[in-house]
Amino acid sequence: MFHKILIANRGEIALRILRACRTMGIEAVVAYSEADRESLAVLLADEAICIGPADARRSYLSAPALISAAIVTGCDAVHPGYGFLSEDETFAEVVRAHDLTFIGPPPEVLDRFASKEGTRRLLGSYGLPTIPGSVGMLRDDEHALEEAERIGYPVLIKPSAGGGGKGMRMVRTPRELESAIKVCRSEAKSAFGDDSLYLEKWLEDNRHVEVQVAVDRYGHGVHMGERDCSVQRRHQKILEEGPTPALSPAARAELCERAVHAVVAAGYENVGTLEFLVDPSGQPWFIEINCRIQVEHPVTEMLTGIDMVATQIRIAAGEPLGFRQADIQPRGHAIEFRINAEDPAHEFRPSAGVVERYHAPGGPGIRMDSHLYPGYEVPPYYDSLLGKLVAWGPDRATAIERGRAALDELVVEGLTTNIEIHKALLANEIFLEGRMTTNLLDRVGSAAFLAAAARP
Amino acid sequence: MPQERKAAAANHATDQPAGQAADQTADQVQDHTADHAGIERLVEGLVPALIAKLGTLNVGELEVRQDGWRIRLQRPPGATPAHGRRLTDRAGQRSHVGHETLGGPPGSRTATHLAAAAHPGGSNGSGGPPLAAVGPGIGTDRAITADAPDRDGADDRRAVRGPIATSPAVGVFQPGSKAVGGTRVRAGDRLGVVDMLGIPQDVLAPADGIVVGVMVDGGTAVEYGQELVHIETGAVEAR
Repeated sequence: MFHKILIANRGEIALRILRACRTMGIEAVVAYSEADRESLAVLLADEAICIGPADARRSYLSAPALISAAIVTGCDAVHPGYGFLSEDETFAEVVRAHDLTFIGPPPEVLDRFASKEGTRRLLGSYGLPTIPGSVGMLRDDEHALEEAERIGYPVLIKPSAGGGGKGMRMVRTPRELESAIKVCRSEAKSAFGDDSLYLEKWLEDNRHVEVQVAVDRYGHGVHMGERDCSVQRRHQKILEEGPTPALSPAARAELCERAVHAVVAAGYENVGTLEFLVDPSGQPWFIEINCRIQVEHPVTEMLTGIDMVATQIRIAAGEPLGFRQADIQPRGHAIEFRINAEDPAHEFRPSAGVVERYHAPGGPGIRMDSHLYPGYEVPPYYDSLLGKLVAWGPDRATAIERGRAALDELVVEGLTTNIEIHKALLANEIFLEGRMTTNLLDRVGSAAFLAAAARP
Repeated sequence: MPQERKAAAANHATDQPAGQAADQTADQVQDHTADHAGIERLVEGLVPALIAKLGTLNVGELEVRQDGWRIRLQRPPGATPAHGRRLTDRAGQRSHVGHETLGGPPGSRTATHLAAAAHPGGSNGSGGPPLAAVGPGIGTDRAITADAPDRDGADDRRAVRGPIATSPAVGVFQPGSKAVGGTRVRAGDRLGVVDMLGIPQDVLAPADGIVVGVMVDGGTAVEYGQELVHIETGAVEAR
């Protein structure tokens, strides 16, 4: 097992990793940028080290700064969290070249799954139904038009790197495709430093369901059930829950089993998430794999009782998984609400500022993962996630009731948050009936969605 | 002491560098004009240098005699030098902030923050708590207040503390030939390097002046922005 881990991330996930290290008896060093000097992870850490200025390119995205920090503080492993360098195979390779362990899939595994388009073909060859899409990256407009014609409109333009909805556009006509490609290329270039794009068939009224897997170095793999992430705004997840209301228990079990079978066969290692779109007929289509811990991992932790971050660390250290599929017995229903510093009434404009008051809710089945504290100044440089409120109940209705009470109890003052959109969701008939699709908010616009919820 | 505090407060209110008592006699005016010049020199040159020095030393008090003046700088009772979170932080002495504030009474965290914010340079291991200077010890009750003023923000901090060369990277510090006390340097001079994974990153002098302190030994691991070399400028240089 590792002696000391460098936490190469910030915000709530830095805190989450720190907590996992504490319970495992592993020392932790929090690497932080100048803008995060007063962050909770830094304040609570045994040890913290400033790695660079606020600009992430010179701090959280700087491989030399992070590795140097790990070396001078005597760490033997680096946890990248999510985002930033968490799925960067070059970073993982350089980490290993300095005799450190990257906590995630080994570099060659990351490399194998680096291209989303290539991964689709790889896992398709191991029996997963994959979404129709372009063969290879789009070379130019002409190639894009040909491929779109072959797949059939509407199509989704997607960047090969990254996530979070950046560089993604759904288009319905060749004319839209040509203009959208330019925008997507420039967005992808600035967000991920890579402007490779590919096309995917767009499914109308799709639902987003993902399967959590864990595979150790010895090829022993399990799934930990699935999560439904259909509640999105412009391809960004807002609320996640498990199990999915979209599929029957038998269909869920089959999907999870096929997913874990495919990734074990394809040589995956460590925790990972396979994302699927489910069409209105209930057919799941594989779209991509996330080779990291995910924002929404607490949903699975609440259902299974398994510490996902600790599992990730143990696998990276070369330990066997230590449990079998039969040992995993998901129980009840869990819903995660992403609390973001965004104004839902104004196109989710990001907000920053000082947290004047903060109160985290409690009670049975309630968990709050957040790096907020009263007096904390939310820096404007990074993503808008302030925390995750998770509500668990023995069934979906109870989880919703607890979630509603917890959202009412939650206090975040001093900056604008998206709490109202969650309250509106819990009053929305489509959501309450479990029939939501990824266009639930975008179809009407979030302002109209909020207004509709406010009507008695 | 209470008298001195009062005088200090009065000085603050009139925004003068030192005491401008209204009830001066004619005989005293000449003397006082000379005094004022001396005080001004001290306030602009020596006191900032001393405060910077005290901020970096693990002592509570510093005293200097010069030109018939005596300047004594004292940390407020109970205050200890704050060096912030550094590489030396270890589990045994860990989480000063976390333990004190989060384990403390409700609201203490905010209070700590506000206190730190009100004094430029006081929050992150550079300046520590505000320093109260007492003196000058020639029979008057005037005092030079060295309370970090919050009137002019960042400019005051620079004036009070003098320029500091900080680390451009996280790595291992290697001082150069100019990183020696008393060496005259110019802005942009290389004072040493921080080795980041074998790539040397230059530590540059932020201003013209004289090196007065090298805060970190060669071969020590440093973090980004860590204070490495203190420089004195202006009046001090002229001495």
